Amino acid sequence: MIDPFNIIITGVGGQGNVLAARMLGNTLTKAGYYVTIGETFGASQRGGSVMSHLRVSKESSWSPQIPKGKAHLIIALEPIESLRVLAAYGNRDVKVVSNTRPIYPVGVICGDLAYPSLPDLNTAVAQLCDDARFINATEEAVALGHPILSNVIMVGAAAGLGLLPIDDESFKSVISENVPESKIDINMKAYRKGKEMAVDPVKF
Amino acid sequence: MLLSKSEGKEFLLMGNQAIARGALEAGVSVAAGYPGTPSSEIIENLAAVAPDADLYVEWSVNEKVSLEVAAAGSFAGLRSLCVMKQNGVNVASDFLLHLVLSGTRGGMVLIPCDDPGAISSVNEGESRYFARLMEIPLLEPGDFQEAKDMTKWAFELSEEISNVVMLRSVTRLSHASGNVKLGELNRAKPSAKFNFSGNLLDAKTGPVITAPVPFRHTQQQAKLKKAIDLFERSPFNRYEGPENPELLIITSSACYLYSREALRVLDAEKRAGILKLGTTWPLPPELLKKHLAAADKILIVEEVLPFLEENIKILAMENIDSIGKIKFFGKNNGTIPSVNEMNPDHVIKAVSSILNIPYTGMPEEYEKSGQILSFTKSPNRELTFCPGCPHRASYWSINRALTLNGKNGFVCGDIGCYTMAILPAGFGTIKTAHSMGSGTGVASGFGKLKSFGLNQPVVSVCGDSTFFHAGMPALVNAVHNGSDMLLVILDNSGTAMTGFQPHPGIPSDAAGNKLPSVDIESVCRSIGAKTFTTDPFNISETEKKVLDIIENETGARVLIMRQGCALSPEKKGKKKYNVSVDSNICKGTDCGCNRLCTRVFRCPGLVWNSSTGKAVIDEIICAGCGVCADICPSGAIKRSEVMS
Amino acid sequence: MQVKGSKEIRAGVLDSGLCTGCGACVSLCPYYATHKGKTVMHFSCTRDEGRCHAHCPRAEVNLDMLSSVIFGEEYSAEPFGSYISIYTARAGDKAGLSSFQTAGTVSALMKFSMEKGYIDSAVLTKNDNGFGVPVIVNDPSGIEKASGSRYSVSPSVKGVNEAINSGRKKIGTVSTPCQTLAIAQMRGNPVKQENFIDPIALSVGLFCTWALRASDFTDLLKSMGDVSTIRKLDIPPPPSSVMEIETGNKSYIIPLEEIRKLVPEACSYCHDMTAEFADISVGVFEGRNKQNIAIIRTERGRKIFDEAVNAGYLIREEISSKDIAPLAAASINKKKKGLAKLADAELVNSEGKDAVIRIKKSTLESIFKGGALCC
Ligand SMILES: Cc1cc2nc3c(=O)[nH]c(=O)nc-3n(C[C@H](O)[C@H](O)[C@H](O)COP(=O)(O)OP(=O)(O)OC[C@H]3O[C@@H](n4cnc5c(N)ncnc54)[C@H](O)[C@@H]3O)c2cc1C
Ligand code: SF4
Ligand code: SF4
Ligand code: SF4
Repeated sequence: MIDPFNIIITGVGGQGNVLAARMLGNTLTKAGYYVTIGETFGASQRGGSVMSHLRVSKESSWSPQIPKGKAHLIIALEPIESLRVLAAYGNRDVKVVSNTRPIYPVGVICGDLAYPSLPDLNTAVAQLCDDARFINATEEAVALGHPILSNVIMVGAAAGLGLLPIDDESFKSVISENVPESKIDINMKAYRKGKEMAVDPVKF
Repeated sequence: MLLSKSEGKEFLLMGNQAIARGALEAGVSVAAGYPGTPSSEIIENLAAVAPDADLYVEWSVNEKVSLEVAAAGSFAGLRSLCVMKQNGVNVASDFLLHLVLSGTRGGMVLIPCDDPGAISSVNEGESRYFARLMEIPLLEPGDFQEAKDMTKWAFELSEEISNVVMLRSVTRLSHASGNVKLGELNRAKPSAKFNFSGNLLDAKTGPVITAPVPFRHTQQQAKLKKAIDLFERSPFNRYEGPENPELLIITSSACYLYSREALRVLDAEKRAGILKLGTTWPLPPELLKKHLAAADKILIVEEVLPFLEENIKILAMENIDSIGKIKFFGKNNGTIPSVNEMNPDHVIKAVSSILNIPYTGMPEEYEKSGQILSFTKSPNRELTFCPGCPHRASYWSINRALTLNGKNGFVCGDIGCYTMAILPAGFGTIKTAHSMGSGTGVASGFGKLKSFGLNQPVVSVCGDSTFFHAGMPALVNAVHNGSDMLLVILDNSGTAMTGFQPHPGIPSDAAGNKLPSVDIESVCRSIGAKTFTTDPFNISETEKKVLDIIENETGARVLIMRQGCALSPEKKGKKKYNVSVDSNICKGTDCGCNRLCTRVFRCPGLVWNSSTGKAVIDEIICAGCGVCADICPSGAIKRSEVMS
Repeated sequence: MQVKGSKEIRAGVLDSGLCTGCGACVSLCPYYATHKGKTVMHFSCTRDEGRCHAHCPRAEVNLDMLSSVIFGEEYSAEPFGSYISIYTARAGDKAGLSSFQTAGTVSALMKFSMEKGYIDSAVLTKNDNGFGVPVIVNDPSGIEKASGSRYSVSPSVKGVNEAINSGRKKIGTVSTPCQTLAIAQMRGNPVKQENFIDPIALSVGLFCTWALRASDFTDLLKSMGDVSTIRKLDIPPPPSSVMEIETGNKSYIIPLEEIRKLVPEACSYCHDMTAEFADISVGVFEGRNKQNIAIIRTERGRKIFDEAVNAGYLIREEISSKDIAPLAAASINKKKKGLAKLADAELVNSEGKDAVIRIKKSTLESIFKGGALCC
C-alpha cells in the first residue's frame, strides 16, 4: 500500500458518509494503522456535499486534508460527487468506486440544472482516473432491507478492490461495536455483497 | 468509548470526543456551553455520559451564561468546562473580562472551537486574540492525542495559576478524527462548597470579585508569568528538524499537521524544521529565542489572523541582539493567504517557493479537464431547507405578505437554519444577517427611523433558541422604545441548526431529564409586545396574519410561527400526508403556472420531470407536510391524511 | 401584437408607474396578486410569453389589431372610437332598480341580459371596506347590490378571469376603459389558445376621466367615519367641482382639487375616456340630471340595448350632436393628453423597445391635429 494512502468518501448529507468513514477508519485502526479522518459536514443536513478525507499510514498520522491531486481511492456514495472530488483531488492513477443511485441537487430537482446520464458520467469519470467502477449499492441495500446499508456496501466495495489492508474479521469486530447484535449479520451481508459487486461492476 | 477503562489503548476519536475524554480524565464536574458548529459534540458527548460520570452538563441560554455557570462550578472548587464556537467568545467576553480579574478556584477551561474558512459559520472569527486581550493562557492542540492530553493538562494549569485557561480548537481538529491513546479516568466525585468568608484579598477564601482592580490585575499578570515558566518546559511545544534549519516553520493547531505534511511531501525534512507550539499565549520567550537564533528564515503558518506572527515578531524585536537578523514569511508578506482555512497545499506552496523545491500538485491539463467535466456534469448542490421544513412555508408567507403590502418591507435575520432565506431556498427574503439575535436589534433600530422618512415595514426573524440567546433583550428594547416592527419567531422546537440541542423553551435538558420549559409567547406578552401565533403550514392564514399585523398593528409586535423542525425526533420519518401530483391536472410550464412548485417553492420532495413536463412527488424524499398542495394554483397536488 | 412575458410587465408596467391596477393579470396564474387596489408580483416567472403581457392594457396594445377583433375595422381617430349610435338612457320601471350611480342604465342592462339568459354571470365591482373589489354575480337580484361607482382603482378584470376559470361561458362585464381594453385584448385570444371561444357575452364600458389611488382614497374616507356606512359617492357635473359623499346620516363635500391629488400617475397616460372597446359604453349626461349617455358600439350591443328598451328595462332618447359636443371635446382632450404623455416617454410605436400603444401614424397625427370629426 502507498503510504500514506489517501481515501476520500464523498456523498450528500444524510447518506451516512461520516459513519462510513468511521467504519473504514476503525477497521484500519484495528489493523494497526494510523488513521486521520477529516470531515466536512457543516451543511450536511441541508442538501450539501459531504466529504471525508481518510489518511492511512503505517508510520504516523497525517493531516486531515489530502493535498490537491493526491487521492488514491475515491468512494462515492453519490455518482456526481465523484466528479467534483476528482476535479480537486484526482489524478490519472486514482481508483473510483461509485454508487449508481443519484441524489439530485435541488437545482436538478426543480428543473434548472441537468443531471448527466450514468454512461455519460462514467465516461467523464473514466477520463479522470485509472479505474472507475459503478455499483448499484442503493438498490442492493434496499433489497437487503434498508437503503442506509448502501454505505456498508460501498465500504465493502472499497475493500473488494483489494487496495486496502482490511479483512472481514476486523470489519466485523468494528460493526459489532457499533450496531446492535441483531443487525450484525445484515451489515456483514451488505459488506460481503459490496466486495462481490466491486469485482463485477455495472457495464456501460 | 468516552468512559472506556482501556487505558493505554488506542482508539480513533473525533477531536471533540478527544477533548471530552480529556475533560473526563481531568475529573471535570461541570460542563456548560451553547451549541455551535464545530463545538457542539463536546457538550453532547459529555451529556451522554453525564449520569454515569457524575457530571452536571448544561446547554445554557447563551455563551455568556454558560461561562457564568461554569465559573460557579469553579468558584465552588469543582473542575469546570465551558464550550462554544468562536463567535460565542464575543458574547461571553464581558463576563470573561471580569472573571480573569477575580480569578478561579477549581480548574476552569474555556474551549472555543474556531471555524477558519467559515465552513459552517457566517464569520471567520478569531478567539486567540481574546486570550491576549484577557491576559490568560492559550493552548492549541496540534493533533488528536494532544486534544485529549492538553484538555486534561489545561485543568491542572488553571488550578496552578488560579485562572481560566483557554484551549482553542478548530474545525479540522474538532471535526476530524485520529488515533488517541486513552489515559486514566478520574472518577473522584469532589464535593462543592463556595467559601467567601476569608479575607477580601484572599483569592481562595474571600469573596470572588474584581476589586481592587490594580491589585487583582497585578496578581493576574503574575499568574501569567507563572504560566510562561511552565510553558518553557511544556512537552506540547516541540521542535522537529535539523539543528540549524535553512527554514524554521513556527506553527500550532491543525496547521502543524499541514506543515509536517508539507515538509514530508517536499522531502525537505532535512532542510527545514518545525517548531510546533502548543502554548501560544503567552509565548515562552526562551524557547523561541533559542529557535529563532538557529535559523535565518522563519515561516509562520497559522489560520485567519497573524496572531503568532505578530507576537513572535515583537519577541524577536525585543531580542534582536541575541537572535540576529531574520527574514519572516507569513501572512503579512503574503506567503500565507490572509483569509480562509489552511491546508497542506498552502504550506507546500510556501515552502517550495522559499526553499526553491519544485512541486506539482495537479498537472495543468488534468486540472483543466477536471474543471470542465465537473462543471458540466456535476450540477451544483445549492443549500436548501429540508423537505417538510417549516421555514420554507414561513418565508413563503412572509415574502408574499410583504409583496402584497407593496411598501418595500424587508426582513432582518440572524443565525440559524433560517439564515438560508438569503438564498432561493427562502426566496431571498432576508436582507440583513449578522450575529445571534441581531435581526431583532437591527429591526428595533429601523423601526425608529419613521421620522427620517423610512416608511418600509420592518420585520425580523429569529429562531426559538436564538430568541432566548439574544433576541429577548432586543425585543425588550423594541417594546420599551416604541419601535415599529414585527418580530417573527420561527419556533421549530429545538436548536435545529446544530443538531437539536434543547433550549429553555424545551422541557428537557442536555441529558434528556425533564425540566420546566419557558413559554415564548408568555415571555413576549409580559415584555409588553402584542403577540400572535400561527401555524406556518397553514400558508393562507399565515400570509393573512402577517399582512394584517404589518398593516393594522403598530409598535413592537410578535408573531410566533410554530411548527416542529422536519428533522426533529418527533417528526422524522413520519408523514402526516400522502402527497401526489395528478399529472392530468398539472400545468407544468404552461402559462398559468410555470412550475411554481418546483421552480419557486423548491421543496426537494417535488421533482420536475422534464420528459413528461409535469411535476411529481419523490415519495422517498417528501416528508409529507402537505404544504405544496396549497401552493399549486391548479389543485394538481393532492394530499390525503396518513392513517396512523 | 407582440406577446412577451412577466419580465416586461414587471419592469415596463408595474415598476414604471404605468399599471392601472385593472387586475387583468391577476388570477391567471400564481404570480400576480392585487391588494388594496395595487397589482403586485410574487416571486418571478421565467416564461417569455404569457397572458399577463398579452392582456395588459399597458403593454404592446395594438389599437388597429384590437379594433379589427372587436369591430372588424381599423382604429379611427374619432372622439368616441367605433360606434353605431349614441343615445341618452336611463333605467325603466321594469328594471326595478332603486339605487344606482347616475340613471341606472348599466345595472338595468346587466339585469335584463341575465334575466334573458344573454349572460350567465356578471362581473361587477362592489365596495369592500372602502376598496373596490370584483364580484361575480350569478343572480339578477344581486346586480343592484353592486350598483354605484367605486372611484378608486379596482382590479375588476381579476373577477373576469375568475369567472372564466370557473367555467362561465357567457359573461357580462362592467368596466372602466382600461379594464375594457384588457378584456378586449383577452377576447382576441392573443396567445392562440386552442378551442378558444370568446367568453364575454356583453361588455359594458364606463366613461372615465380618472380613478383614485385606492389606499389613499380609503384613508381619506376612513378619516370621515366608518366606510361601511358610505351610501354614495358622486361627482356632480361641472360647474360644480366637488365630490359628494353620503354616509349613513351625514354628507360631506370635498373639493375636487383635493381629490385630484389622489389620482395615480398611471391615469395620466390614459387615452381612452369612453371605453372604446366595449359593446356599449355608458356615462353621465352632463348637465342633464339623472340621465346617462350610452354609446352603442357593436351589433350585439345594439340588439341587447334595443330589446331592453322594448322590454321597458331602459328608456332611451335621441341625443343631438350639440349635446354630445362637451363629451367629444373631453374625450379628444384625454386622447391627446394621454398619447402625448406616452409619446414623450417614447412609449408610442417605439421601435426596438416595448411600446404601450401601437397606432397607425396617420391616425395618431389626426388625433393630435384635433380630431377630424370633433364638433
Ligand atoms: C372610477 C370611475 C370614474 C368615472 N368617471 C366618469 C367620468 O369622468 N364621466 C362620466 O360620465 N362617467 C364616469 N364614470 C361613470 C359613472 O360614475 C357611472 O358609472 C355611469 O354613469 C353609469 O351610471 P349608472 O347609473 O348606469 O351606474 P349603475 O347602474 O350604478 O352601475 C354602475 C356599475 O359600475 C360598476 N362599478 C363601480 N365601480 C367600478 C369600478 N371602479 N370599476 C369598474 N366597475 C365599477 C358597478 O359594479 C356597477 O355595475 C366613472 C365611473 C368610475 C367607476
Ligand atoms: S404548481 Fe401544480 S400545476 Fe404547477 S407545476 Fe406544480 S403541480 Fe403542476
Ligand atoms: S408534502 Fe410537498 S412540500 Fe411537504 S415535504 Fe412533501 S413535497 Fe415537500
Ligand atoms: S407568463 Fe403566464 S404564468 Fe408567467 S407570469 Fe405571465 S400569466 Fe403568469
